[in-house]
Amino acid sequence: MILELKNITKSFSGRQGRVFNALDNVSLKVDEFTTLGIVGESGSGKTTLAKIILDLIPLSSGAVVFNRELIRDFRKDVQIIFQNPYNSLDPKMRIKDMLFEPLSIHRIAQGKGLMSRAVELLQLVGMDDTALNRYPAEFSGGQRQRICIARALASEPRLLVLDEPVSSLDLTIQARILELLAKLKQKFQLTYIFISHNLGVVKYMTDSVAVMREGKVVEFARAGDIFRDPGQDYTKRLLEAAKGPY
Amino acid sequence: MRKNPYLISGIIIIGILSLAAIFAPLISHYDPSSIDSRSLLSPPSSSHWLGTDSLGRDLFSRMIWGARISLTIGIIAVGIATFLGLFLGALAGFYGRFIDTLIMRFCDIMLCFPTFFLILAVVAVLEPSIFNIMIIIGLTSWMGPARLVRGEILSLKEREFIQAETAIGCSDLRIIVRHLIPNAAGPVLVNATLGIAGAILLESGLSFLGLGVQPPIPSWGNILIESKSTLGIAWWITVFPGLAILVTILGFNFIAEGLKKVIG
Amino acid sequence: MEKLLEVKNLKVEFQVEDKVIHAVAGVDLQVNADEIVVLAGESGSGKSATALAMTRILPANARIASGEVVFKGRDILKFTEKELINIRGKDIAYIFQEPASYLNPVYTIGSQISEVIVLHQQKSRKEADELALGLLEQVRITEPKRVFFSYPHQLSGGMNQRAFIAMSLAGNPKLLIADEPTTALDVTIEAQILELLLQLQQRMKFSMVFITHNLSIARRIAQRVIVMYQGKIVEQADTAAIFKSPEHFHTKELIAAYEKIGRI
Repeated sequence: MILELKNITKSFSGRQGRVFNALDNVSLKVDEFTTLGIVGESGSGKTTLAKIILDLIPLSSGAVVFNRELIRDFRKDVQIIFQNPYNSLDPKMRIKDMLFEPLSIHRIAQGKGLMSRAVELLQLVGMDDTALNRYPAEFSGGQRQRICIARALASEPRLLVLDEPVSSLDLTIQARILELLAKLKQKFQLTYIFISHNLGVVKYMTDSVAVMREGKVVEFARAGDIFRDPGQDYTKRLLEAAKGPY
Repeated sequence: MRKNPYLISGIIIIGILSLAAIFAPLISHYDPSSIDSRSLLSPPSSSHWLGTDSLGRDLFSRMIWGARISLTIGIIAVGIATFLGLFLGALAGFYGRFIDTLIMRFCDIMLCFPTFFLILAVVAVLEPSIFNIMIIIGLTSWMGPARLVRGEILSLKEREFIQAETAIGCSDLRIIVRHLIPNAAGPVLVNATLGIAGAILLESGLSFLGLGVQPPIPSWGNILIESKSTLGIAWWITVFPGLAILVTILGFNFIAEGLKKVIG
Repeated sequence: MEKLLEVKNLKVEFQVEDKVIHAVAGVDLQVNADEIVVLAGESGSGKSATALAMTRILPANARIASGEVVFKGRDILKFTEKELINIRGKDIAYIFQEPASYLNPVYTIGSQISEVIVLHQQKSRKEADELALGLLEQVRITEPKRVFFSYPHQLSGGMNQRAFIAMSLAGNPKLLIADEPTTALDVTIEAQILELLLQLQQRMKFSMVFITHNLSIARRIAQRVIVMYQGKIVEQADTAAIFKSPEHFHTKELIAAYEKIGRI
């Protein structure tokens, strides 16, 4: 087990003192080298959970417990890919500087080594070194997402949280990026937490699935089981909607 | 010129001004303090292009040297204000809560004072000198940039790329300096450009009142001191410095306008 | 099959900095009465540009280089602005991807729909409000009165899209152009909106051009599919035929993507 989420609750206080629970007592276990899928509609709390795992927003109660043997340096070993490739890259930075940053912060490479390592990272995601001196605005959504993946891999992480990484891309590009992610997981022995509202994508990528609704986990099972024989009504409804009339 | 007429015209105006200021010793024919007792208050002529003042000093030379003074004061004062504003605004915007409240309330307090009178009061206590003027204008003009920077950073913070930088392992300082400030720089630059115009106007006003640059060092503001008494008889003493100030302010405003277009 | 709209040799260019992009490079297509056509392709294939060009609502940096759009026997590309205004929203209506961006944030949903009715059906405000409420019911909004008085930011994406659909139907259009209306919505909401559009079309008999990058949608709602790639139409056929025996490689790519990850 690489990560355990214990009774995570996140409340926001809205107007007139109302309290809104984005996450309500969420508990999950993630095993090493697996892909855990987190499925849910908008507002189910999936993105909030992702940000809490990455300690980008504080939780209200509960604990995020990492296996200290596997995750020794949090910011190095755990990385995240966000949904919107247009918002995840600093528009004023060149691609090479964006790749150099994690490499030097975590001392993976220095001096001349930075450039060669950056080129390697780009090749891993299917891009060539002409990208290095360019700015994010010069790339398409799919290419930017590849750059985000390269940056996330720079620190040689063990756990990657992917928050709807392909949802804003064309279906054909989605397929290619997902193939790339699957290949990288194999190659670098990574663990993925894959968040999506798209059940087709989840079926393709994951080993086990947690279904979330309004901040709670309503069902958790192996991917094959959930799609074949969903237990909860809500899960059944999601599957029905995704299948449509054919 | 078609693409950005404001920016181009502004740069031309200020460019000429700056060149004049930099090459003042080479351009001015006379020493700005030298007295030509044969032509007191004489109108523009071939020997004195812009005429002379009541002490017989060549107005053109005094204007060129005045440009040097005014521009220097404007740029340095705004430099101080912007630097302070960036620093305080970034801290307030990034850390929020207590630090934000502290800095913003201090900002509000400073804004309560009518700036001009605050400067007058300070100058009355300290002796008026070019150095003091620059510092004082700088220390009383940081509020605008600070609020601007704070606003920019508050909205930038919500953009995911900042969270991505945290996730990679960037320290707070690195995020502020390398990511937030460069992205907030646009509006701050526009503000600073307008600020220089404002500072020059401020300095001219102070000098006109006798509390700024002291004669015999020429400044457009203190050249205008004589205009009060010579308006009817020596129009050139009023018109030329006034025109210079006008054109300079206009030039900086044009640049600011042009920058806004570039930043988008 | 009665022909409703015919596009002949449409070419649209975009000016991006100093380059010209040929977004639509010679497109011929036809939309018949009472039919749903899916216009499929990746981003950049020219599908949106084609749709926007039909009533000349392209962005400022776009230019219709050549072509005709024949509607009701006349080439509407040659219409004056006044004549076009008569068609937009009335004969040809649009729905877009992010309804919240296209709704005015400071007016209630109800008033925005009423405005369209007053404009195109010459009814009084009171009558328009009644009709607007009726439209909200037709788009299966369970609390039409509440939504009528709500502002866009108070409603979910799916709700806003329903409201927007209601608004687009307010002019009783003959042709509805839907530009990726469900791309930004959850899969479950997408299913509901598709179902809704299908029912509305069957009842009101308007024609619809549905633009998407997800070919599976054609299977749900369309009789015909037109595939675009790099500004040109590469394949057109009945829905069943396209899925059974696709010819062009890009069509095959689109189908393969959907089979891999678009269904369960």
